[in-house]
Amino acid sequence: MCQATGYAGISLQPNAGSQGEYAGLLAIQAFHASRGESHRNICLIPSSAHGTNPASAQMVGMTVVVTKCDDNGNVDMVDLKAKCEQHSANLAAVMITYPSTHGVFETTVKELCALVHQHGGRVYVDGANMNALVGVAAPGEFGGDVSHLNLHKTFCIPHGGGGPGVGPVCVVEDLVPFLPGHATGGVKSGVGAVSAAPLGNAAVLPISWMYIRMMGADGLKHATEAAILSANYISKRLADHYPTLYASANGHVAHECILDLRGFKETSGVMAEDVAKRLMDYGFHAPTLSFPVANTLMVEPTESETLEELDRFIDAMIAIRDEIRQIENGTWPQDDNPLKNAPHTAATVLSSAWQHPYSREVAAAAASNPVNTKYWPSVGRVDNVYGDRNLFCSCVPVSELAD
Amino acid sequence: MLMPSVKPLGELENASEFIARHIGISEADETHMLSVIGEASRRALIDSIVPRSIARSAGMQLPPATTEAAALAELKAIAQKNKLYRNFIGQGYYGTHTPGVILRNILENPAWYTAYTPYQAEISQGRMEALVNFQTMVTDLTGMAIANASMLDEATAAAEAMTLAKRSVKAKGNTIVVGGDCHPQTIEVIQTRAKPLGLTVKLANSAAEWAEALQGDDYFAVLAQYPSTSGRIDDLRADVQTVHAKQAAFIVAADLLALTLLVPPGEFDADIVVGTTQRFGMPMGAGGPHAAYMACRDEYKRSLPGRLVGVSVDAHGNPAYRLALQTREQHIRREKATSNICTAQVLPAVVASMYAVYHGPQGLKRIAQRVASYTAVLARGLQQLGWTLTSDSAFDTLTVKAGDQATAIMAKALSKGANLRLSWGEYVSMSLDETTTREDIALLWSVFAKDAQALQHLRKGRGAADPGRAATHQRLYDAPGVRQPPQRDRHAALHPQSVRQGPGAGPQHDSAGIVHHEAQRHQRDDPHHLAGIRGRAPLRPGRPAAGLQGTGRAAAGLVVPGHGLRRHQPAAQRWLSR
Repeated sequence: MCQATGYAGISLQPNAGSQGEYAGLLAIQAFHASRGESHRNICLIPSSAHGTNPASAQMVGMTVVVTKCDDNGNVDMVDLKAKCEQHSANLAAVMITYPSTHGVFETTVKELCALVHQHGGRVYVDGANMNALVGVAAPGEFGGDVSHLNLHKTFCIPHGGGGPGVGPVCVVEDLVPFLPGHATGGVKSGVGAVSAAPLGNAAVLPISWMYIRMMGADGLKHATEAAILSANYISKRLADHYPTLYASANGHVAHECILDLRGFKETSGVMAEDVAKRLMDYGFHAPTLSFPVANTLMVEPTESETLEELDRFIDAMIAIRDEIRQIENGTWPQDDNPLKNAPHTAATVLSSAWQHPYSREVAAAAASNPVNTKYWPSVGRVDNVYGDRNLFCSCVPVSELAD
Repeated sequence: MLMPSVKPLGELENASEFIARHIGISEADETHMLSVIGEASRRALIDSIVPRSIARSAGMQLPPATTEAAALAELKAIAQKNKLYRNFIGQGYYGTHTPGVILRNILENPAWYTAYTPYQAEISQGRMEALVNFQTMVTDLTGMAIANASMLDEATAAAEAMTLAKRSVKAKGNTIVVGGDCHPQTIEVIQTRAKPLGLTVKLANSAAEWAEALQGDDYFAVLAQYPSTSGRIDDLRADVQTVHAKQAAFIVAADLLALTLLVPPGEFDADIVVGTTQRFGMPMGAGGPHAAYMACRDEYKRSLPGRLVGVSVDAHGNPAYRLALQTREQHIRREKATSNICTAQVLPAVVASMYAVYHGPQGLKRIAQRVASYTAVLARGLQQLGWTLTSDSAFDTLTVKAGDQATAIMAKALSKGANLRLSWGEYVSMSLDETTTREDIALLWSVFAKDAQALQHLRKGRGAADPGRAATHQRLYDAPGVRQPPQRDRHAALHPQSVRQGPGAGPQHDSAGIVHHEAQRHQRDDPHHLAGIRGRAPLRPGRPAAGLQGTGRAAAGLVVPGHGLRRHQPAAQRWLSR
């Protein structure tokens, strides 16, 4: 992990990325305190950051100051510089994600790190996007002081439906003494424990160990490059159908691309969520919906998908674009079409009382999905608002099952 | 002799075999993809994307790639350096048997272990049903109104409970009173989390300190372990009243297995309950991963941290699961979020929920009774050997005041292949669990026995059946005829087949169903069981909590006075006199 990040020390204790982030900020805080600078409590966070960043900063008692992004989605260096100067005496840290949550390798990152260091702050590089960096660039080399890794994102621990993850925190030399301790587990440090167990989710670590051992340095670098290649392939092939929102000057993205669906609301009433639901009829779990930009889809194919699978996804997205066109040109009404009614259950498609302006074949995406990968959900579109207003979070009692 | 290959041996050994298995893009595919993108080579593509100024100065220094077989052999060689002892340390970690059917169909089933967080509800119903099972199991056993779909571990769950309490109570103080008999790692994490928030942790290291702290006006919450880390079972009812009079919150860190026998904290009006579900089928794993749980009173539900699965309706009016109250979460509320937790412990939570399904309420209770009985037997023997226990109540953990002999006992235990727990230099604790056998009891006695004769005497079970003296564990619970742990029909509640769907397609991939049926095969005609597998659950909108509250009150009538803890000695006597 230290080789991948370019850092000097690591703690495997944090058992999720959020805890790694928290431990990293604690290290920065303890470092400042050790130098008699406990007053440094300002944490600069770009507006494009994942919400966990400000939530973690709040948990260590730092005051969050949000910095702007420019029109291309990059950190606005002018604003960052102004905020650094304004808060120079109290600057504790900046938290950035690299490549950015917008899926772009910002060219100013080295400059940004130097600027923050100049004002006495430390640089937290969120490891959420390490999939684009391993073997290619190391945060510890380009100016980062602390990063957490998500082993469940970058080092092959399966996601488990939402855990277990592992969020080890890696730091530069002078922060090593401030990695989390664990008195009960015999780990001494000036900083307290962040997890119940000294090695956190220890039992899944052999998965990452095996992965690294079987890939070697070349294999890991190849994986990063393949992830970047796949994202750019998707972005390029979908460019005429769904523009990629943010790219670098030469039109390339990092390891993920944000597909801009915001225009369809005006032309057809279609929201990104409708496309996400319709993707199920084509046999896909949708990519990230409405993060980091509302009404977009962020696609991160990773290195593992085959070309066949990438093409299947791209073809499904193009077929859905054609369906949107039929709403745009009035063939289907905005409130009764295959997207708004997606996903289609077997019960609705088999029902003899079919009353939609499109066929059952269209509903099941039979023609446009020749490999017939449709996922047949057991339920139709779920009403989130109803559930939040009538909150019920247990099994339906047996008394309710009686007729 | 065969023709020697024209290929070099190194190539045939194919040490980098796994790389091509892991990376989906073949060389030919790559050429095609690059042509679509308009770059000449992978190198050229990367150079055009990664700024030159940040490119690595040198490659990573790692051992060269090796085959899966060779890597596994290395890993096993490392693992073999471990010495496998019987563990009686307890402290939140216990031996458990992972049922084979859960191991095969869930833990080793990629449909369960590779899935992403269920953001797209319609394609994730099976997983969310398992999580609703988890939440139901937790609310049933804790007696609380609502539970989330897992926390990272018991210590961070307790720390999150502290901040939930701070957000929710009227008390203005900045102090949390923590019982000194909580698990030490929980105390540590709470101290870590409290400090940057400007909160004070007041440790109460004795009953007197606890009572005194509770009389103060400076706290917003208190935390007690139930049963405590040294094994004591406290009657917390009066303390809850005291704390509520101060408008502060009462947090209980509770053991779910013990709660199948003890009065659940929800019934003595606790505000937040946390704990680990590790002993429900997840191996200790050197500390993790295990799912912790968090449950709270209804009034706190909108600031409960973590992921929460709820029942809603779909476009056709049928019940459907989805992640509830997402607006509490950090991707919406950022620095005003209730917590920074995102990824939790879903797979271990599913295992724990399926463990409860597998054993059913009666099975869980039987395991708990067995643990409690072994503990009573062990206690009786230790007393006969002349040792003093620190508590007259226990569920699974006993603490012996060993004084200056503590170190020698620990060393003797190690020499016999047993890990015990040493506290404060003079107390030796040991915890029993689902995996405990009669041999383990004999082993522990032999550690504490001063000579072989005393041990022999006990193993024959003579002289142990003095009912008067066996009453030291009078607060242990006697099961027959007393309140069943389910507050409603848990038999059905733990097995709702309302939306029958696993993560794959078709009933043959319904892992929940497989576990369910394996557990229930012997009573397939049971009417409740049949009710449970009826096609679809008609949800009654508008009165979502009716089923819960009504049955909760009915069950309360069964609670025995005096904290619901009853005499236990008969099982111990029977066994000892055998």
